[in-house]
Amino acid sequence: MKVWNLLIVGAGPAGLNAAIAAAGEGLKVKIIDEFNRIGGRLLGQLHQEPNGEWWNGIDVANRLHEKAITLGVKIESGVSVYDLEQSEFGWKVYTSEGMEKTEKLLLATGATEVPTPIPGWTIPGVMSIGAAQVMGNVHRVKPGNTCVIIGANVLSIAIANELRLCGVEVKEIVISQPNSSLTHSGTPEKVMESLLQLTHLAPSVLLRQAGRVAKYIHPSLAVKFYPKNGMNILDIPIKIKTAATEIIGDKKVKGVKTVNIRSNGEIIPNTERITEADFVCIAGGLAPLPELAALTSCEFKFVHELGGHIPLHSERMETNEPNLFVAGNITGVESAKVAMAQGTVAGLTIASEIKGNKKHSDSAIEEALLTVRKEREEALIQFQPNIARARELIYQQFELDWKAESPKRSIS
Amino acid sequence: MAGEKTIVCRCEEVTLETIVDTIEQYSCSSREVKLRTRAGMGYCGGRTCRNVIDRIVAATNGEPIKDELQLSYRSPIRPATFEVLGGGHENES
Repeated sequence: MKVWNLLIVGAGPAGLNAAIAAAGEGLKVKIIDEFNRIGGRLLGQLHQEPNGEWWNGIDVANRLHEKAITLGVKIESGVSVYDLEQSEFGWKVYTSEGMEKTEKLLLATGATEVPTPIPGWTIPGVMSIGAAQVMGNVHRVKPGNTCVIIGANVLSIAIANELRLCGVEVKEIVISQPNSSLTHSGTPEKVMESLLQLTHLAPSVLLRQAGRVAKYIHPSLAVKFYPKNGMNILDIPIKIKTAATEIIGDKKVKGVKTVNIRSNGEIIPNTERITEADFVCIAGGLAPLPELAALTSCEFKFVHELGGHIPLHSERMETNEPNLFVAGNITGVESAKVAMAQGTVAGLTIASEIKGNKKHSDSAIEEALLTVRKEREEALIQFQPNIARARELIYQQFELDWKAESPKRSIS
Repeated sequence: MAGEKTIVCRCEEVTLETIVDTIEQYSCSSREVKLRTRAGMGYCGGRTCRNVIDRIVAATNGEPIKDELQLSYRSPIRPATFEVLGGGHENES
């Protein structure tokens, strides 16, 4: 049975680019992905860049896929991994299609959506915002004619626009119940704070104006003057002073019950109303998907800025577990471009370990690391503030815990 | 808030109210919530609600989420047939 130099779990932007980098250095590489198409979350992405060009994720995915195949990478889709095991040659990887042997293993499994439970969220017709995206952009199925989105964040605004392009009338984007332990987004003030992170790149002049103003004033003031009826971005009303309290319907969604709230999240009495819709999207944000790493003795860290629990790793994408590497959103939720750049770093790092030609590879890795930093800085979609700083702390912690001679210490 | 109407774990139909009450009564961890209420123990293996349970526990206890994964993952992390688990495919590849 063949032993691969590198097996990659996840054929998204990180996995594909890692395969391209590693195969480019002469490694025998295989990628497996659970979904029946190659590209991961790239497949759903369609948005306009600040320079006016469109980012068409399907095109990007096809390009990377072809490039990987040209370099001799073996790619299989519709295959799930259910277990991992260290072995004398590296790893045994147990999949729905049998066991694979590999020297090095790269986990590029991406992120998962976190729901925001609210009364009625189990009614048919309620879906996560990512599910609506996949229905529209990947399967070409319109989820419905009218929709309400619960959760105002970068992802939901981007996908609302994609749904609009699919011909869906997005009636409004409202926030989820304030002051609830279920949500990280919280009060309108908090929502505003995070939305302002993206305004310098926002697809709307209006929000850009708000962003410019907010550079000089506190988010609390920006919220104060935020119109009660919301601001329209591409004809979609974004109402951060309206909160969903319940999704209504019996066998099928009928609409969303909302109330108006003050900047601090306080409910304004007698403002309850119902917005009818034939499907409802919940946008609770993303969290790294660490399950395969969790089957190993990989060390974990909880980092709010990166979206949740991540495997502790170095800037070169190594984990504390021998021959185990990570890249992409499993290391923290960021844009596809950052994931692609991280994939290149991981592929080169792994090739360097196998080939043992440090001198040649070190400069290439350094260059790839620069690209990661550049992509992060220029990222159109910033999922959380202070990502760069949070990443630095992780890399330092890794060096302290696993590279230095001194006993473990904690950076806080 | 309508905690008795808010389902958190869809597989086992455990409500927010049940989870919060359990945390308050036993001041417990995510794992203990899972063992006491079956939240996160259903068919999906906690893939839908585990992050939510961690957040509720942290918020209710007033402490940050810990670095260690609170709800463990165990093989098989995806549904697998007996044939696959028994290595039925092994000679083919």
